Amino acid sequence: MHHFTRHPQNDDHPLTRLDARVKLLSALTLLVMVISCRGIAFPLLVAGVCGGICLSLGVRPRVLALRFAEPLFIAGMVLLLKLFFAGTVPLFSFTIAGWEVVGHRDGLMEGVRIASRIAGAVTVVAAVGFTTPFTDLMGALAWLRVPKGFIEVALFAWRYLFVLLDDAQVVYAAQKNRLGYAGYRRGLRSFGTLTGALVIKAFDNSQNITTAMVQRGYDGTMPLLKHRPFRLAEVVAALLVVACMGALWRI
Amino acid sequence: MKRLFVVILLLAASPAHAMHISEGILPFNWAALWFAVAVPFVALGIKRLNMLAKDDLSFKPLVGLMAAVVFIISCMPIPVPTAGTCSHPCGTGIAAILVGPFVSILISGVALLIQALFLAHGGLSTWGADVVSMGVVGSFMGWFVFRGLRTMGASLGVAGFFAGLLTDWATYATTSVELASGIRGSEPFLPLFVKILVAFIPTQLPLGLLEGAMTAGMVVLLYKKRPDLLVKMRVITEKELTAHA
Repeated sequence: MHHFTRHPQNDDHPLTRLDARVKLLSALTLLVMVISCRGIAFPLLVAGVCGGICLSLGVRPRVLALRFAEPLFIAGMVLLLKLFFAGTVPLFSFTIAGWEVVGHRDGLMEGVRIASRIAGAVTVVAAVGFTTPFTDLMGALAWLRVPKGFIEVALFAWRYLFVLLDDAQVVYAAQKNRLGYAGYRRGLRSFGTLTGALVIKAFDNSQNITTAMVQRGYDGTMPLLKHRPFRLAEVVAALLVVACMGALWRI
Repeated sequence: MKRLFVVILLLAASPAHAMHISEGILPFNWAALWFAVAVPFVALGIKRLNMLAKDDLSFKPLVGLMAAVVFIISCMPIPVPTAGTCSHPCGTGIAAILVGPFVSILISGVALLIQALFLAHGGLSTWGADVVSMGVVGSFMGWFVFRGLRTMGASLGVAGFFAGLLTDWATYATTSVELASGIRGSEPFLPLFVKILVAFIPTQLPLGLLEGAMTAGMVVLLYKKRPDLLVKMRVITEKELTAHA
């Protein structure tokens, strides 16, 4: 959770200033290209470009490593599973305690293909996440006709996520200082109490929030961001990038 | 030996905190299929939310905060002794018990979207598959088990435990189906499904028990500290509350 921030990484970066709708549409197009690609080079190219964007935003390598650790670990495991348990053409073999383990060429290729797809897709979404504030993304989704109920719930969740997270960290630290997580049974009880306390806080906060919002004119619907008109230069630049990527994807 | 090697590899895979299917792992056709399956359920969740919010203005903020709670719960690592590592619970069981299965699907959809965008946990391309496993299957399993056991006279704790346990296991069984169908390539489905299911066992067998205990603990805690909330969310009736008092 410690690599999770509510603000974009670099306010001055050109991509941060780019219209969220343009960014989201470009990213979704790239994502579709990556997951529908049958080769290895294109997803890896996308991973390189988007990874470079993340670094140019000033994202610390440690944060990037934490963000990518889980999907890349899964990519590695898929690669190993495919190498040893899929395919028919032997590539290499070794013996452990008299048993022969065979790696397959076609299994390796299939594994590398899936792993490269994961790397490409994860970096595309990370680049969007690092350059776009959540509220702008929700505004872009609303523009894409995602139902308002979904957007409203997401905005409430985002607004109070950090409040609840702080509460959870305070309770967790207090429990830990009192040896609440010493021992399996005790740890489980403490965790149950912590999550129960969070649910109670969520209920209480929702009542307080509603009272405060009703006093400010809340009638059950929330106003969403009004978008500025599209800038021609942004749209043209995004179309060029997507067209270039599309051409590479076809190759 | 080959079997031993499989077991070692699968055990090594278990610490992956693999609650959700990772971004990019599903090819386009499978990602689109699961997306198409998930969307109607999320739409029904939104419809239910709007209906309930008409009578109670605090319902939307409450659902938003529950989504935040599910997000936090599914980001909290808890120890799994058999794997010597950490994993995390789903949290949809408790959400389904409190706000019903359809709104719980919406909650998981929102939590999964935030996790995909800002934690690389799950993904945008696998959002549909993750909503189906954690949201649709998890929520309905939790809700049906809880309501079913309560109808049969089980206590809140027992019903909560089995709801949490089966929510977790059903989520992972569905995830295994989704993964096996998505990455099998030219392989037959069933052997790969079994391999993936076995890979989840070292983590998810005990984690399901933990999630069951956690859900039971939460329901019991709510009953002890704030029974009014359980009455408001129609988990228990006013009559049950006064009968116990």
